[in-house]
Amino acid sequence: MPVREVLLAGADDRDLTKLAEYQAIGGYAGVPKARAMSSDDLIAELQAANLRGRGGAGFPMGRKASLIDRSSPKPKYLVVNADESEPGAFKDREVMARVPHRLIEGCLIAAHAIECKDVYIFIRGEYLAEYEILQSAVDEARAAKLFGDVEITVHRGAGAYICGEETALLDALEGKRGQPRPRPPFPPVQGLYDAPTQINNVCTIATVPTIMEIGAAEFAKIGPESSPGTAIFSISGNISRPGNYELLLGTPMRELIYDLAGGIPDGRELKCVIPGGSSVPALSPDEIDVPLDYDSLAKIGTFFGAASLIVVDDRCCMVQLALRSTKFYMHESCGKCTPCREGTRWMVQLLEKIEAGEAELSDLDLLDSVGSRMLGRALCALADFAVYPVASYLKKWRSEFVAHVEQGCCPYGGESSLEGIVAPLDAHRHHPGLEVIA
Amino acid sequence: MSDDVTLTIDDREVTVPKGTGLVEAAMAAGIEIPVFCYEPRLGDPVGACRMCLCEVAPGPPKPQAACTLTAADGMVVRTALTSPMARDAQNGTLEFILVNHPLDCPVCDKGGECPLQDLTFRYGPGNTRMTFPKRTFEKPIPISPLIALDRERCILCYRCTRFSEEVAEDGQLVAVNRGAQSVIATFEDEPYRGTFSGNVTELCPVGALTSTQYRFEARPWEIQNVPTVCGLCPVGCNISATTREGKVKRILSRNHPEVDEGWLCDKGRFAYSHLGARDRITAPLVKAGPRRFEQVSWEDALDAAESTLRAGGASTVTALSGGESVEEAYALAKLLRQGLGANEAVLPEEVPDGFDAYRAPLSALRDAKSIAVICDEPVVERAPVVDLWLRSARRKGAKITYGVPEGDVEGLVTDAPGPRYGATNVYYLPRTPNGRGVTDAWSAAGDGEPVDEQPRLLVISGDEAATDPSVRALAADAKFVLGIGMFEDSFRGIADLVIPGTSYLERDGTTVNLEGRLQRQRRSVVAPVPDVTMFISKLAERFEVEVSPHVSVLFGEVAAKCFGGISFGDVGERAELPPRAEEVSDTNPVSDTHTNPVSDTHTRAAGTGLRLVTYRPLFSGAAVERTPELEFQKPGAEIQLSRDDAKERGIKNGQTVTVSSNGTSFELRARIAKDLQAGVVRVARDHAGDLHANVDVKP
Amino acid sequence: MTLYDAIQAERAKYPEGSRSATLEALRLTQEKHGWLSPDALREAAEALDVTPAYCKAVATFYDMYHLEPVGTHLVEVCTNLSCALAGAQRVVDAFTSELGVAPGETTEDGDVTFRTVECLGGCGYATVVTVDHRYRQFVGPDDVPAIVEELRAGS
Ligand SMILES: Cc1cc2nc3c(=O)[nH]c(=O)nc-3n(C[C@H](O)[C@H](O)[C@H](O)COP(=O)(O)O)c2cc1C
Ligand code: SF4
Ligand code: FES
Repeated sequence: MPVREVLLAGADDRDLTKLAEYQAIGGYAGVPKARAMSSDDLIAELQAANLRGRGGAGFPMGRKASLIDRSSPKPKYLVVNADESEPGAFKDREVMARVPHRLIEGCLIAAHAIECKDVYIFIRGEYLAEYEILQSAVDEARAAKLFGDVEITVHRGAGAYICGEETALLDALEGKRGQPRPRPPFPPVQGLYDAPTQINNVCTIATVPTIMEIGAAEFAKIGPESSPGTAIFSISGNISRPGNYELLLGTPMRELIYDLAGGIPDGRELKCVIPGGSSVPALSPDEIDVPLDYDSLAKIGTFFGAASLIVVDDRCCMVQLALRSTKFYMHESCGKCTPCREGTRWMVQLLEKIEAGEAELSDLDLLDSVGSRMLGRALCALADFAVYPVASYLKKWRSEFVAHVEQGCCPYGGESSLEGIVAPLDAHRHHPGLEVIA
Repeated sequence: MSDDVTLTIDDREVTVPKGTGLVEAAMAAGIEIPVFCYEPRLGDPVGACRMCLCEVAPGPPKPQAACTLTAADGMVVRTALTSPMARDAQNGTLEFILVNHPLDCPVCDKGGECPLQDLTFRYGPGNTRMTFPKRTFEKPIPISPLIALDRERCILCYRCTRFSEEVAEDGQLVAVNRGAQSVIATFEDEPYRGTFSGNVTELCPVGALTSTQYRFEARPWEIQNVPTVCGLCPVGCNISATTREGKVKRILSRNHPEVDEGWLCDKGRFAYSHLGARDRITAPLVKAGPRRFEQVSWEDALDAAESTLRAGGASTVTALSGGESVEEAYALAKLLRQGLGANEAVLPEEVPDGFDAYRAPLSALRDAKSIAVICDEPVVERAPVVDLWLRSARRKGAKITYGVPEGDVEGLVTDAPGPRYGATNVYYLPRTPNGRGVTDAWSAAGDGEPVDEQPRLLVISGDEAATDPSVRALAADAKFVLGIGMFEDSFRGIADLVIPGTSYLERDGTTVNLEGRLQRQRRSVVAPVPDVTMFISKLAERFEVEVSPHVSVLFGEVAAKCFGGISFGDVGERAELPPRAEEVSDTNPVSDTHTNPVSDTHTRAAGTGLRLVTYRPLFSGAAVERTPELEFQKPGAEIQLSRDDAKERGIKNGQTVTVSSNGTSFELRARIAKDLQAGVVRVARDHAGDLHANVDVKP
Repeated sequence: MTLYDAIQAERAKYPEGSRSATLEALRLTQEKHGWLSPDALREAAEALDVTPAYCKAVATFYDMYHLEPVGTHLVEVCTNLSCALAGAQRVVDAFTSELGVAPGETTEDGDVTFRTVECLGGCGYATVVTVDHRYRQFVGPDDVPAIVEELRAGS
């Protein structure tokens, strides 16, 4: 049960998109507090809070700030990653739609820590309503002279999952094709416009005001020691009460699925859970007694990822699940590096062959091998994201893959919940004149 | 703290300077790290192809892209040589690259000199596990009359697009689409129009971008590459001429880091087809009618030339092109000055030597913090590669001013003698490829003064001189004209006797580039005619002048007077820049020896009008006229304006404007040029009609 | 305000000499012309002081730019995992029969372009549909006729 709310606190009772309402519950008090501190002290405070990034990697936000090369003569930048495109994730969106000022306050505090005057919030292009709310909140706060000498610019994306990857995001923000950059150099040293840049997820930044409010020491006490604070968990798929739940990190997964979200509807059986958005290794029903935090999930071989659970019931063909998932990653591969560009396409071709019942057992090993040759060898993690889930399906539900081979068709005989699903890739008109892969 | 770092690569310890890339560090240890996308001349590494994956400690327990790493103390690197992880990674990368590669090597121009073939041979899988239809594209598609693109062969290393974006900065060649559907393209069906486009054919590590001229012309094992130097502009880029069966088939760069950094302009790369032009002169010609020539035997040509010269005597005037080799110019000068006492020459241009005290390699331009460019003509039209050096200087943060700078600068690029504004490196831009060498050769051949009588004979050396309006005017007045050149059309109607000439690709000799660098040109193919020097040598015998037919001897005589007596053999494969000359006068080396044109030609013209500069486009002249593939590169009917002048008149880029100067007036397309100072406008010579120096431009 | 001036205003938000306004410039250009035709790309390039090829390179990278003509209205159905598990395909089929066009196509009268898209970030409210970029959530096959009706009425 949510012991305390951090990100969405107060949003049920009041319209916190309005500046006055947000200030009425103590909003923006953290800004003067922070500005009274030196950058070093503020960074020390943030490090003490041990707030881990909510964007996926779980890297401590304070440590990241400490890596910013503040000695550089160049301007320093803060970039908020609001590109939220991971299938299964819709939490950043709720924060921007309901508590935009908390995000803005977090920006102003973090900006002071790294001596930054220009903040950019990169919001995915599809989030139109959220953009409008956020933009008017920014304008309202600016008009209320809360910015001081800081400027916040909301920058809209134009539809590309890869722009969630921090360096691709920077290129998109620079008006280029959003393709990842090699690292090193890392953004804290050479980021936006080649200047030192801090990049954080929406929820990470929106948590910062609470650290200012209650102090790092108190914050560090919330939830498990290794990852304090709360997270908004998005849960979707075959689940009775889908939606966002702000919970303490470390809340048991079973509790979220069965007590809070009401379990599996239509009297079906739970088949698998993809715990971090579609890009992480899936868990079988016997693996869901795990606390929802970075380290516990890592221990059982998956990732916290985007804190987004996709629940799958027993009507779903795992080969179709793998195929649909891989079509997404092929569609979103930026095309810059070889293993991802060629590998995702090859995986799709193999999975289609398997689903069609035309594969041999050796094709399952080939699929596995192709994946293993992509893992850890691409320029960014998208290639890994394509492989992780498929590798886990292949490992944990191998019998279903084998059944496709042995029966020479999909054992679900057209009854799978994903039967016939049309992916954008299948009807590709976005790039005129080019192949639509059969 | 030392400036070196020591690391271990495949158990070999190697010490390299701080900042050395891992790929170079391995090279220093004699170890290959295979690469496709990595090319330091294209800017920061992109880490795209993943060919260079190695095991690197310290670092994450997965293969690292070596091309994106710099050598550090204590680093332990394992390549495919000693690391199973690296070997599998590199093998995997090649498998992925080949998954959609057509493997049409037998019909691919790159076959046999293809990095993809070589690396697959060394690191790739022996077989394919790909059983699905490969990606197919329409192929080959011409992205310009010069370049064909095969998208199936493309491995998306982004070398060509990075060149276009970050070196030439023309923004013409780009990647479109995303993921597996990414392809290289120009905008719609527009050709890749840019002075340096051809370089992408050399950068491409596969057969995706090929030269239309070289397509299906030769196999690598049938060709020779002759190391020589381009003779088409004063930069003198180092090149290799690829020849097969006595014909030049293509021109490749032969990277001279101080001169060209491995880049060529499209004129130098593609204009070689002029060697086989239909109006190439293959035998001596005598006038046989107003627009007709007749071939004569070499013996008759000798007799005719002798009597002509005797008739011409000391008043004979000689017009030189500046495209001759030092030796050709010297042989001719020696015959005329010593045999006839004919000391009157129309040199291609005045080349001040005062700047030689500030001589520096072109590569030094890149490191200058501030540069002034005092040249009304676009630098790229006169000395293309200099424009690339200026661009890389700007990318490195140099402040570049066009026109007279306020205060001092580090580097000066100028087309006229004049003050140097405190510059320590000065680059003078001659008009002609070897203007400097020709001037030296002429002066080395004698020191007599011109006689003061009405000239009867005009000797025209070279096609460039023969097609120069002022020379043609002289020809009209002369009783008799003796020409030496390659193409009939250049001399038709003006010359009475023409001796066949040869191209810079067909002769041995030397040439002096704009830096003052003496470079060696080698005979790449045998000309259809004997060397000019051979003819002159024979002719000279009849005047009791000793002109050797051997370039080494001719060079020796010039060198004794002008090049510090070095021998022909000493002019190396990759020539060094001679030491700086003594300073002539401390503040202003040349303004006291010449009236200073800077003050009158480089300042705003009087009145409300704009000062018109007509320039000779790079893509013009005898060689280009005879290379149809280069036609599309010629400048359009446009007028270049500075931003300010355009704003002032409310003129937008690309809009049609009316240009008028006393009486005449016609329409041109406006182009806003960043390298123009206010008050000056530019039009290519062929489009300037009879406009005067002071024009009005209206929307 | 002309497109040119609007784009200059966007450029002013970012450091001198950066190309950061490109994405927004292309969005504005598309709003003006409906899709990014070659001439539209030229117009954007002129205002951004970049080459048309550069604009094409960027425009073809992102899904929200149209490089072919599209209908007056745009209907997009998410068919990524969560929506798919909740029956997105039945919604797709409903639109296909109501509009008479397959995903990726535009109705004969050029009124509606219909396509499937990847995750829209509404997984908890499946099936998510956007109509002219506005989200509709919990859309089932039965809601489709009304939506199409509304569109037809709208134009
Ligand atoms: C392919 C890919 C997609 C990503 N998408 C997102 C995203 O949508 N939102 C996000 O916050 N981080 C995303 N990330 C993670 C970011 O690269 C980066 O680690 C994160 O924004 C850092 O913020 P944090 O430290 O606050 O977590 C993605 C990473 C990859 C490799
Ligand atoms: S892994 Fe995929 S998305 Fe990432 S850089 Fe390579 S091609 Fe682009
Ligand atoms: S050479 Fe290193 S990634 Fe291409």
